[in-house]
Amino acid sequence: MEKASHLSVIVDLSPTQWHLSAQASNQYPLSIETFLSQLLAFLNAHIASKHENTLVVFGALPGKSVMLYSSTELLTDDMPPLDANSYLPFKLVDSTVVRRIMDELDAIGKLEEEPPCALVGAVTKALCYINRITHHSSTTTGVAEDPTTLHDPRILILSVSPDLSSSYIPIMNAIFSAQKLAYVCKVYGPDTVFLQQAAHLTNGSYIYLERRDALLQNLIMSFLSPPFIRKILAVPKQDKIDFRAACFCHKNIVDVGFVCSVCLSIFCQPLPVCSTCRTKFPINTLKRLNAARPAITPASSRMGVPLANLNNATMPRSTSTPVPNGMSNLR
Amino acid sequence: MPVQSLQNTDVILPQHTPHPLLPFLQSQSQNTLTRLYQRPSSCLSIFRLLGPIERQLIMNLLWLESAIPAATMSAWVMPEGKQAYDEALAVMAGLHIAPNSTVKLALNLTFKSSLRQAITGGGNTGSFGTPADKDYKRQSANIENLDAYALERWETILHYMVSSGQGQNPAKPSQGVLYLLQRSGLMNTAHGAILQITSSGFQFLLHSPHDQLWNLLLQYLHMAEERQMDLVEVLSFLFMLSTMDLGREYSTEPLSETQKAMLEDLRDYGLVWQRKVGSHSILLRWVPSINVLYYLQASSKRFSPTRLATTLTSSSPPLPSSHSTGGSRAADATGTVALSSGAAQQGFIVLETNYRIYAYTDNPLQTAVLNLFITMKYRFPNLVVGMLTRESVRKALSNGISADQIISYLTTHAHPQMRKNNPLLPVTVQDQIRLWELERNRLKSAEGYLYKDFASQADYEYVLAYAKQLDVVLWESAIKRCFFGTLEGHSNVRGFIERRTGAA
Repeated sequence: MEKASHLSVIVDLSPTQWHLSAQASNQYPLSIETFLSQLLAFLNAHIASKHENTLVVFGALPGKSVMLYSSTELLTDDMPPLDANSYLPFKLVDSTVVRRIMDELDAIGKLEEEPPCALVGAVTKALCYINRITHHSSTTTGVAEDPTTLHDPRILILSVSPDLSSSYIPIMNAIFSAQKLAYVCKVYGPDTVFLQQAAHLTNGSYIYLERRDALLQNLIMSFLSPPFIRKILAVPKQDKIDFRAACFCHKNIVDVGFVCSVCLSIFCQPLPVCSTCRTKFPINTLKRLNAARPAITPASSRMGVPLANLNNATMPRSTSTPVPNGMSNLR
Repeated sequence: MPVQSLQNTDVILPQHTPHPLLPFLQSQSQNTLTRLYQRPSSCLSIFRLLGPIERQLIMNLLWLESAIPAATMSAWVMPEGKQAYDEALAVMAGLHIAPNSTVKLALNLTFKSSLRQAITGGGNTGSFGTPADKDYKRQSANIENLDAYALERWETILHYMVSSGQGQNPAKPSQGVLYLLQRSGLMNTAHGAILQITSSGFQFLLHSPHDQLWNLLLQYLHMAEERQMDLVEVLSFLFMLSTMDLGREYSTEPLSETQKAMLEDLRDYGLVWQRKVGSHSILLRWVPSINVLYYLQASSKRFSPTRLATTLTSSSPPLPSSHSTGGSRAADATGTVALSSGAAQQGFIVLETNYRIYAYTDNPLQTAVLNLFITMKYRFPNLVVGMLTRESVRKALSNGISADQIISYLTTHAHPQMRKNNPLLPVTVQDQIRLWELERNRLKSAEGYLYKDFASQADYEYVLAYAKQLDVVLWESAIKRCFFGTLEGHSNVRGFIERRTGAA
């Protein structure tokens, strides 16, 4: 029997970015109203696919993240009145999501400076939520099943904001835990490096939308299908992935970084002491690295690992990962 | 590397068996289906009954305004998924959802607009059921009562089936149900006027409630065809029920005459609950569309679907866990959560390697079903102990139940404690049940002729060689100088012998 699937949707609700997005100077302007109506149709399509499908929607607002809708618990007290012309679960999703978004946006008020969107918070909440429902259902049945097989969970991130380099580390941490649990993240949004990596690492797909008016068709084609369907019907994917990481010291996206051989922290320049784990590096190595820095020579590439490898190197701490010579001698 | 392993894991496609209703729908005319597709709720329900690939294809096509070249769609298909894709297209063509065409691919216009309407809401078809006005005088039935009602109705039917021919007299379901059971061949009146369960009826008992329900409803649909009820009305009412919300009351006012008549039947099956308005007011109603005079008990103008109805198009259990012991009361408290998360019904059977079965149940129906293939030893208030013996299993086999059905019943109802075992059921017991089934297949009968009393060994061998050429020999014995040939080969062999004796 086919399993039910769970979908967590994270919506970027940054007022500034949506304002920019709706401006007529864009080739294909997309206002939040049109976006919402297309999103709701997509959410309904997910619920329509199977009676047991579960859905949760999180909103990433400036400075905080909120749960907008959850199919397992009621967030608002009053149920919408029954209507002979619409299916109740659909109506419930639509009215709840719209009402909650309006409430939250009204609550923001006028701020001098908009704090960055709490995308990380939303992703973390989505992961916690998935963990809870899979854990919960395995305890009620008393069956020691592999939790990952239960719900076939997926996370869909809809983003309009550009990269926020300060959130690189928390995003990546969230993504690695998602990867461990084998959840699939699907990302949809502007050209953001981190989200591209997130999609790649979790075996999901990342799409940069050019024709924004075709949002719904794109959403359905690429993100509605559960993973096993993708063995039969291919989904659009972006081949080119920007693997660059952000350094831990200045949160800049770097082309060549320097990796601590003990804790694998990334820095944009050679440091005498690792700021994360306090490991001291020998002065000789530092000199050599600094000398090699301007031009990428074989000497530096021993130390500064090309960052395409970094994502792999950050995960398992096995001896097989390429460890730079200079630093590994330290211990 | 985790990344590597993620990409390399082969996802085994879950086996999707087509829903039993789909062949029935496919056998309907395009006209009937198009009329059915005019209702958004029917489209939504049929959409849910389809396989995952069909659903994705429909969704891909749903928001397209014009037909797209078939080649564009098939370009997305992975080489290994070609067969599944073609099958999905065939199913959609059979249902007239997407006309079969090698050039262009588009959804049936009626289906497309109705499904769009279902997803976006709106319109004025009223196909999701008109809610009844709030009745402040009486309390509407709560979910617990509805579940209890559905369970009681359904178990009455099953219990009646299982205990027929055992001299017991359980509560009789209504005439309509009895007729349906007989009509569907689950029971028949072989011995006198008493209804007896048939071998397909025994098999029916071991199915899951969901399969049982659809099985009966399919029979109902066939019967509706014979009664010349409008199939579109019948189907769309079933689909409407499946999209309704459990625990709400709906008005009977907008229903057609056929559908009001159906309410009566569905009430008997436990799909729908209606408050009775005193038994003294019996109405005679002539239903012109189906030429049937109905004794309508004046029931209230409102009805509530039960869980049996609202889960028609889902795979969540259609009945609340059917135990009434103290232990399961606690489970009922969390029942809604467990049900919504798709948790299976609680198992209650423990099977040991010594063929002993412990069933933690006080439900007479479950005990009766178990009694079909085990020998009861003891009964306690909440526990039944029995043995799988050669006799008990042979009795079940002779009733037409297969070994696989017994094993699958034991597997689906295994106690949570059993689920820790791997394999779930003791292998010895499984094998033994299968061996007992094989035992019954030791004798094979074939009609034919015995050729004997040949005059000489040479004659015998000559005729035997000829018969073997024709491949009609079933058995031979050189010592007794005879062989047994099939019925079909007789004329040839006989002619051969006659020619030979004539020549000699």
